[in-house]
Amino acid sequence: MQFDEFFSVVRERLGSDKGDDNSKKKTDIPAGLLFKCPRCRSVTFIEEFNQNGKVCPNCNYHSRLTARERLKITADDGSFREFDRKMISKNPIDFPGYDAKQKELREKTGLNDAVLTGRAKIHHEDVVLIVMDSNYMMASMGSVVGERITRAIEYATEKKLPVVAFTASGGARMQEGIVSLMQMAKTSGAVARHNEAGGLYISVMTDPTTGGVTASFASLGDIIIAEPKVLIGFAGRRVIEGTIKQKLPDDFQSAEFMLENGFVDMIVERNKMRRVLAHLIRLHRMPEIKEVGSDE
Amino acid sequence: MLKKVLIANRGEIAVRVIRACRELGIKTVAVYSTADKNALHAMLADEAVCIGGPQSKDSYLNVRAIISACEITGAEAIHPGFGFLSENPAFARMCEKCGIVFIGPRATSIEMLGDKAQAKETMKENGVPVIMGSDGAISNIHAAKTLARDLGYPVLVKASAGGGGRGIRIVESEEELEPMMKAARQEALACFGNDEVYIEKFIKDPKHIEIQILADDYGDVIYLGERDCSMQRRRQKVLEEAPSPASFMTEELRAKMGRAAVTAARVCGYRNAGTIEFLVDSNGDFYFMEMNTRIQVEHPITEAVTGIDLVKQQLLIAGGERLTIKQEDVKLTGHAIECRINAEDPANDFRPSPGRINSMFIPGGFGVRVDTAAYSGYEIPPYYDSMIGKLIVHGKNREEAIAKMNWALAEFIVDGVATNVDFQLKLIRRPEFIDGNYDNGFLNRTDILADERGED
Repeated sequence: MQFDEFFSVVRERLGSDKGDDNSKKKTDIPAGLLFKCPRCRSVTFIEEFNQNGKVCPNCNYHSRLTARERLKITADDGSFREFDRKMISKNPIDFPGYDAKQKELREKTGLNDAVLTGRAKIHHEDVVLIVMDSNYMMASMGSVVGERITRAIEYATEKKLPVVAFTASGGARMQEGIVSLMQMAKTSGAVARHNEAGGLYISVMTDPTTGGVTASFASLGDIIIAEPKVLIGFAGRRVIEGTIKQKLPDDFQSAEFMLENGFVDMIVERNKMRRVLAHLIRLHRMPEIKEVGSDE
Repeated sequence: MLKKVLIANRGEIAVRVIRACRELGIKTVAVYSTADKNALHAMLADEAVCIGGPQSKDSYLNVRAIISACEITGAEAIHPGFGFLSENPAFARMCEKCGIVFIGPRATSIEMLGDKAQAKETMKENGVPVIMGSDGAISNIHAAKTLARDLGYPVLVKASAGGGGRGIRIVESEEELEPMMKAARQEALACFGNDEVYIEKFIKDPKHIEIQILADDYGDVIYLGERDCSMQRRRQKVLEEAPSPASFMTEELRAKMGRAAVTAARVCGYRNAGTIEFLVDSNGDFYFMEMNTRIQVEHPITEAVTGIDLVKQQLLIAGGERLTIKQEDVKLTGHAIECRINAEDPANDFRPSPGRINSMFIPGGFGVRVDTAAYSGYEIPPYYDSMIGKLIVHGKNREEAIAKMNWALAEFIVDGVATNVDFQLKLIRRPEFIDGNYDNGFLNRTDILADERGED
């Protein structure tokens, strides 16, 4: 290009050169400083990614959260009171290695099973929160998950509180056999009683919500929210394709597909979730603006 | 002393850094986007590395590409300029961890000063004046009344979750406080889903005055006088001058603000060049606003009145040298004014006007400096900010500086794209500017082009 030639005289006149390359040294970016998005492959500082709620600032990819991370961005600071923390599961069908696996996961995740339940506030609104954690056996639903969720909903019914459930699950926990399938009926029953008592139940489907959890309480919300692009389904894609001998659409089992087909009411981005939840909760009770001066 | 520096920026500031490096015998590496192939910084540096596509995120914010460019060229330090990655603590930390010298403060200082609430708290604890108010949210009306009485009316009621001017009320008297708080809370609840509000002292028609500091790695910190940046349009600085022409500015106030700035820099372990921004009311009472942890656009006016090359100082400090300038060596001489020259159309709501500069004339002469990366035939890309240059004049006093600016602006010719040169010329001829007591709100209240529209 001509401009390059035009200005090259400056470098010539100044005797410009690159200097000795002996100063060359290996510069390695230490691990853990950058987040590389699995979807768009762009790179972000890990701090920025974390501050953005673990959402890729480039393509809006919502990465999975632990239950504690979810609590932190959802509940008001210090407002969470956990229920049934000490409840841990037995090995009802003597599944080989189940006890050891649980023990290992408890140490690794700091959780006693795949769900946290408790009372909390979201923008000052009292709620019962249910948060599943896919890092614990893909948040499969066994006896403890089912029992904690059921008890949390029953508590909400009794105290006339709304329930917000962040669901994520691979389905029923096969290591507990039939016992885990029974959790579907139990949790659904609790939701039904909560509904009959006039209570609000908002279900928020996060990645991935599948199997017995989709087929029970996750799909029973008065309002069903999903995070963008999350996987929502019952059986896996290949199983269905193999069974019905048909090719499924590309966006099958995505939140957007579910919204289009009426299984999901709204898709809410993570960074707006807290506000939307607080707003929905307020809409579903008569609003009362607290008087200035009333000591809260 | 540094041997080779990579400049992670573009435009006139990249050129400015390249020139300073040349004077110090430091080799330079420019990085550029595919849209900046013909940009001056890429053509003047000893080496140039293309680091990605036109969008900033693909190039000038593309951390991996920038670090890789360092690696392949053997650059040992990065000058971040302003904007882009310059105030990103994560980038500074990454440089530290990769063994690259970041020409700026430590990551921890950037982080601390980037958190506005924390910065304010730290300043308050160390005796740097801040705008007083409730510490956090306030809901009890009695407590609010007591506090407002202590602060003195008028006070501001602001939404904790606020932004964009919503949920803000100016309260002039105690009778208004209760209804205004109620209104602010309702608005805050509606807008932000959070009805928390806090109260702070309202500063009427303040000036924006900032203090330039330099700090080395050995604990020496000096201040280099102030810059008055009150001429702002929608929070964008338009014109700056040093020293401040405000009638309240005195030698004593300058020293007092300077000492406060030095304290501010010390308490956060600051290193390199930095600027402490203050709001100053008409009584000359000043309040810490924030600290900018980088070189600033308007640094040349400080260079003009102090005779100190700030960018060279940055390079020396980053190279581990001690400050050789002592506070008592800093003398302010004359008056300097900078007008930012932007490729934008003032008649069209200052819309950016990228495009090809067919030809241009840049004025020169005694006391006139132009920092620009534009040239005849240059195509201004639409991807970056619209500033194409800075016209800086230095006179023995303000009157002479204004007189110089008059002819220098008049001779500044850019053909091919719309610029704000005529706007600047009108601005410096306004009686409010000449008087010097204009405040932050002046350009937002005043339509500089009104007479032009009237004639149409």
